[in-house]
Amino acid sequence: MENADKKPKKGFSRRKFLAISGSGVAGTLALLYFGRGAIRRKISDFTSEMDIPADVSDFDHKLWFEVNADNTITLKSPKAEMGQGIFTGFAMLAAEELDVAVEKIKVVHANSLNGLLSNTGGSNSTSSFYVSIREVAATLRETLKLQASKLWNIPVASISTKDGMLTAGDKQLSYADLAKQITKWETTETPALRPSSQFKYVGKQQKRIDLPDKVLGKPIYGIDVTLPDMVYGAMLYSPYVKGTLKSADTSGAKNTAGVLKIVEETNWIGVVATSRYAAQTAVEKIKAEWDYNPNVSTKDLEKLITVGNGKEVNIQNDGDTDSVPDEVLTGEFRTPIGFHGNLEPSIVVADYKDNKITLYASFQNPAYLQTSVAEALDLKTEDVAIMPTYMGGGFGRKAFKSNAVEAAKLSKAVGKPVHLLATRQQEFQNGYVRPNTHHVLKGKVGKDGKILAFVHHLATGPMIFNSVPAIAETILGADFIVAGHGARCPYHVTNIKTTVWHNNLPFETSIWRGVGMFANTFAIESFMDELAHKAGVNPLKLRIDHCNDTPQLVRRKKLLEIIGEKSGWHLPKSEGIGRGLAVCDDRKTVSAAVVEVKIVDGAIKIVKVTQAIDAGKIINPDGIKQQVEGATMMAISATLYEQGTVENGQFVQTNFHNYQVVRLSDTPEIEVILHEGSEVPSGVGEPPLSPIAPAIANAIFDLTGKRLRSLPLQLAFQAASNL
Amino acid sequence: MQLSLTINNKPTVLDVEPDMPLLWLIRDEAKLKGTKFGCGKALCGACSLYVDGDLIRSCSYPAQLANGKKITTIEGLSEDEAHLHPVQQAWLEVQVPQCGYCQSGFMMAAAKLLEENPNPTTDDIKNGISNICRCGTHPRIIKAILLAAKLKNDGKRG
Repeated sequence: MENADKKPKKGFSRRKFLAISGSGVAGTLALLYFGRGAIRRKISDFTSEMDIPADVSDFDHKLWFEVNADNTITLKSPKAEMGQGIFTGFAMLAAEELDVAVEKIKVVHANSLNGLLSNTGGSNSTSSFYVSIREVAATLRETLKLQASKLWNIPVASISTKDGMLTAGDKQLSYADLAKQITKWETTETPALRPSSQFKYVGKQQKRIDLPDKVLGKPIYGIDVTLPDMVYGAMLYSPYVKGTLKSADTSGAKNTAGVLKIVEETNWIGVVATSRYAAQTAVEKIKAEWDYNPNVSTKDLEKLITVGNGKEVNIQNDGDTDSVPDEVLTGEFRTPIGFHGNLEPSIVVADYKDNKITLYASFQNPAYLQTSVAEALDLKTEDVAIMPTYMGGGFGRKAFKSNAVEAAKLSKAVGKPVHLLATRQQEFQNGYVRPNTHHVLKGKVGKDGKILAFVHHLATGPMIFNSVPAIAETILGADFIVAGHGARCPYHVTNIKTTVWHNNLPFETSIWRGVGMFANTFAIESFMDELAHKAGVNPLKLRIDHCNDTPQLVRRKKLLEIIGEKSGWHLPKSEGIGRGLAVCDDRKTVSAAVVEVKIVDGAIKIVKVTQAIDAGKIINPDGIKQQVEGATMMAISATLYEQGTVENGQFVQTNFHNYQVVRLSDTPEIEVILHEGSEVPSGVGEPPLSPIAPAIANAIFDLTGKRLRSLPLQLAFQAASNL
Repeated sequence: MQLSLTINNKPTVLDVEPDMPLLWLIRDEAKLKGTKFGCGKALCGACSLYVDGDLIRSCSYPAQLANGKKITTIEGLSEDEAHLHPVQQAWLEVQVPQCGYCQSGFMMAAAKLLEENPNPTTDDIKNGISNICRCGTHPRIIKAILLAAKLKNDGKRG
């Protein structure tokens, strides 16, 4: 087991993701030296866990904490709260070392003027700060003790801390009263951390500190930001994929009451007005013509994203898959384009004054906002202030491509703060999507029940290339890091081959909760089920039998045993019920699900989901359960219903009437089982999403004998039923 | 157009475009931010509030239709923060929200459902509310409405 209290290593292994994101010259030189194939396989080896390290390195306690006059402590979180419960987790961790109750820690978003900002995503909020946040808290505690020792003129060792009070004999002072007297903070060395055996809060159920505001409807989101003199923007973008503005008549818009300004750029038109209604009404009066390719359609995109088309990059080549005897089983899978459907659309309030700008944004990636706006408005990055807010959902949509540049330009044009909210249609048509995928799997199980060979060809659009320097596409050849996340054979098999086929799609594709793990787990875990049935082996046993003694496979095996027992896998099923199993290993977390389905009026109905998760050290048990339930529901939605399509050069989906998502009526019974298989915490937000799709497909096979190999399953099931 | 409305028991006069959606009147003019924009087409329910006691999706409801009427938003669901509506109490007890953005709409819909059906079954709840949540809080919403029904009924008896 890993040592939980050890400082994260700053060497290559911890920095691997960043190192590759920023690779330029070094990557090119390495390519020349090792050759492309070998270096790409090496990069794939290093990045397959996607255990992303923290992207801040300054641990000065003043950037993290403030001691308030009422003896509460403000924690300025570098991570944004987007529903994952990170404010509560951070407060619990800080409380362990600060000697104050969790309730006495007020967590707020840090901003670029008073603290540190980090990218929120990749399920790493807890894992990447698990040690650091306690270290900073411990340093603050020891610093307070040091200052008290000087004030009282006694040794530090004679001072103790409890419930926000410093005590030495009959002397007592609150943190707040001491802090008031400190004019110059003299910071101590970082002390040793308390061992996890002394934890008071970690591991115990904690009510989320952000929920009272959310239940009262308090104004905490980006959309709620209000500034004096604020006006409203509305945008016209191309309704076509990669459409360019040919001509526009804005005369009707100009004459609309309340309109203050119309800003025309190469590819968009923005209107600023005194009310949102006036701005939107004016935009609707603009007569625009667009240049676009009317021939882009889903059918062509499926051809483009097909194994055998595009650039081929082999990322795993163990043993000799070609020497495997005949009668190999082949399975072909597809997943569609996915939209995020974050309920709060893209929103930025921009306030431009005197060659400086402040951006209030509900966004996962503050560094992207800062650099993109600085570049677009020709400002210094330090003159772009970022004020993060609570997010009304992110799911990867608020990581890149925001409307901040537009908001910034509109604010500059009118000299007032501008509130710019995307419409739902723009959120569908002008953002980015999860790329569609195609998978070809080949495998064979020997007479002894051992898998002799496992081959996975993945064809996918990229998820990472819109966020890294263009050279990365040349160096990597295909996005096997993010879109290819989870494409490698996770089991212990001697002969393995994994290949990623790359083509760019004619619109922006990027990350979506779980990134490549979602599509790849659907293909791999469905195919494991096919192999098991073909060989006449119980699907649970086939998986367990291919876990060896590497740490992650030991954890996988353990979790499979747990889910087998707790889900009733070995017990007889009720009439009309099908049962399916799947598992994934994502960001060092193992998640396994057993799903029970039935058919009601010709449609798939999920009856029960049992999901076991080993996310290592448990911080807030109920917080993990929330994430597992949520990921399960989002995955049911993406598995049964969600599908983006393109016809005549535009996304067909414009709102929730033609992009079906789950409702309360789709809710199954969900049971979550927590298992602590490591002393360090790992990701929770994404891992439990990915086993759901294959578990449902496997359950349908169990019930009906129909093997569904394309998402969304409701459509695939209807198609299979009509055969 | 000058509109006179009562918002959360407060008489209010506002001058707005008659066809402006009530949602924007509530959010941008009356400055009550708890009611959210989600889809703009009455599909998701994030903008749910009451007009004269009826549950409506305010993104698609012209402001002029609310003239002379009583509006209740999430900020007016409970008497005050010390006396939360049973639905809000249950929401906290069950720890429902994640991002929380859709929850005002869900709580308004839930409170209305309990007014009309004080003892709903799980199926009544599943079929009675069609709002959208993307974080996947559905299992807890159902649990919280069942608890809220109990809290409300116990309160009446007590």
